[in-house]
Amino acid sequence: MVSAFRRRSLSKTQAGFAITELIVSAAIFSSISLGLLMGFTSLERNYVATSDFSLNHADEMRISDYMAMDLRRAIAVQPAENDTTIFIPAYYDQTGTPQTPALDGQGGVFYGASGSSVRIHYYLMAGTIYRQQDSAPAQPLAVNVQDFVFDVTDAGKVVTTRITFNPTFNSGGASAAATTATAFYNTTLLRNSRTDIQSSVY
Amino acid sequence: MLRQDSTKTGSVLVWTVLVIAMLSLIAVETLRLVTAKYQNALQTSTWQEALLAAECGIDLAIVELRKSLYPQPNYAWEGWNNPPGNEVTGYELTTVPNAGLNGTPMTIETNVDAPSQLIDPTNSWQYYRIRTVGTIPITGPARASDNPQDTKLRRLSLHWERFTDGILAPRSLEKPQVSRRIEAIVRPVSAFDQAVMSVGVVDLKNQNIVVDSYDSTDPTKSTNGLYDAAKRQENGDIATDGQLIDAGNAQIHGDVATNAGTVSGAANITGVERTDFYQEPIPIGAPSWADSSTATIDGTTTINAVATQGSVASRYTFSSISLSGNKTLTLAGNPNGSQTYIEIYVTGDISVSTGQIVVQPGVTAKIYFAGNVDITGNGVLNSNNQPGDFMLYGIQPQTTSSEHVNFGGNSQITASIYAPGHDVTVNGGGTNGHVYGSIVGKTVTMTGVSNLHYDERLGSTGVINNYKIVSWFEDNR
Repeated sequence: MVSAFRRRSLSKTQAGFAITELIVSAAIFSSISLGLLMGFTSLERNYVATSDFSLNHADEMRISDYMAMDLRRAIAVQPAENDTTIFIPAYYDQTGTPQTPALDGQGGVFYGASGSSVRIHYYLMAGTIYRQQDSAPAQPLAVNVQDFVFDVTDAGKVVTTRITFNPTFNSGGASAAATTATAFYNTTLLRNSRTDIQSSVY
Repeated sequence: MLRQDSTKTGSVLVWTVLVIAMLSLIAVETLRLVTAKYQNALQTSTWQEALLAAECGIDLAIVELRKSLYPQPNYAWEGWNNPPGNEVTGYELTTVPNAGLNGTPMTIETNVDAPSQLIDPTNSWQYYRIRTVGTIPITGPARASDNPQDTKLRRLSLHWERFTDGILAPRSLEKPQVSRRIEAIVRPVSAFDQAVMSVGVVDLKNQNIVVDSYDSTDPTKSTNGLYDAAKRQENGDIATDGQLIDAGNAQIHGDVATNAGTVSGAANITGVERTDFYQEPIPIGAPSWADSSTATIDGTTTINAVATQGSVASRYTFSSISLSGNKTLTLAGNPNGSQTYIEIYVTGDISVSTGQIVVQPGVTAKIYFAGNVDITGNGVLNSNNQPGDFMLYGIQPQTTSSEHVNFGGNSQITASIYAPGHDVTVNGGGTNGHVYGSIVGKTVTMTGVSNLHYDERLGSTGVINNYKIVSWFEDNR
């Protein structure tokens, strides 16, 4: 009897303790799970934003380097926001072979036909920034960049490009200050005399 | 009790493993992202440095071209396989240790040639073509960027190099590197590229001085090849290798440039003020053709210019020229006024006072002088009225001596003066002093009412003083 009573008594105690324990442990589990979920969600969001920022920065750098390369050898520039045209000498012939230049009689030289040039058009369309050389198919430089803005400031002898995007760290959208902070600048010295304005080589 | 402990321990272990696994996944992905980013940044930096290397090659070539302008021995093209010429490519390979990223060597391959198409028919000046390839090793693995557009832009040579001997000719590589290629065309620059150029101070003494320009070859910028105030141009530039231009509020229709110096009295300058000027003046040596003549010109004399274009100029050597009391030295050409050429070397001084040097029509004269020059009154009659037809070249004096060139006393002179070792003074005196041409001196001083009218045509005549890039192109095939 004693032992049976003890067993029942022990069972009741044990049963009641198990319910409490269950509730407590469930609460703790829920809290921990919620914390972990929030933590991982935050980490994941942060990771995506960081990854996005990193990719966008690489895109900025690529676009900037492309434009700087063309600006260095430019002979004329038509700047506009998200739509800039650069003219470079017609250095290559139809087969892509470099040509020997000829004197222009004014102290300069030209490649190909006198007055000829190659038109390079940079523009943003449908979330993609393209580089198009004359009438060749446009080459996408960066995709999914609908939030990009590239601006070109023409100071004659030097041209400055500025590229920004909207970072996604804040779910409410990027502030103006955050967008400004992404600005990628490049100031390029134009090596050639320009045909569109009065300028000299360095 | 033991079973309960064992269960709890197992639960904790599972949680721990799960958390570690998730954190590890995040860490791995972050590391992958950072590594790719780092690699991209490293390759981009190396790519940028390769451009610097290629542009260094242009500088190296221009240094050699400039050396070749100096009197012999000038040691130009030493260390190169050939001096460049038509169908002959001068080649040099320079390696600068530790100049690249992470202490890598910078390799600069420079090729220079002189195609016959690049000879200016108006003055026979040769333009040179410089092709350079700058190369920097990549210190990371031979791994291309994730983005194909990066690969198209920054053409890394991971296993194959694109350029060999300055042209597109692929070859295999043992280690990855970046190469960039530039082609530049340089043209000669005349010593008379500015209205006034001084090694030291330029001092314009008062506001009555006028410096402007015209172009004797352009009827919209001159009248019958002569200066016309109504067609005045704004290229009367003044420059100094020194730190001071005292413009004295003179009327300067052009730019002024110093070598990191200052410009005072700049109220009437129409152009811009620059501080980035430096052009080392090439010294003039004694002509190699000079003889040991000790003849002095001090009476009325006529010497003949009979050489025509393409032949060696008629040449004379004198110990001095001293003309006074209406004595003249006539440089006579063909009676029909056709173009003839004469060169005179004066080993001593030139002094013209109440006398005159007469340059007859059609004669182009160059006078080399080793001493001082003093010309007053209308001491030079240049019948062609073209400053390119009467050029005075000052032989570089010893550093211990002080030589001068003075034009004074209501003088009107059409001439170009290149004397970077002489102090040059233009003293307008009276009310009507005019110099048509260009002045290069150790120092340049203008006083009184002096008018200097720079003929822009001089920029393509006279002695070559430098080389200037007129075309630049990066070949990114």
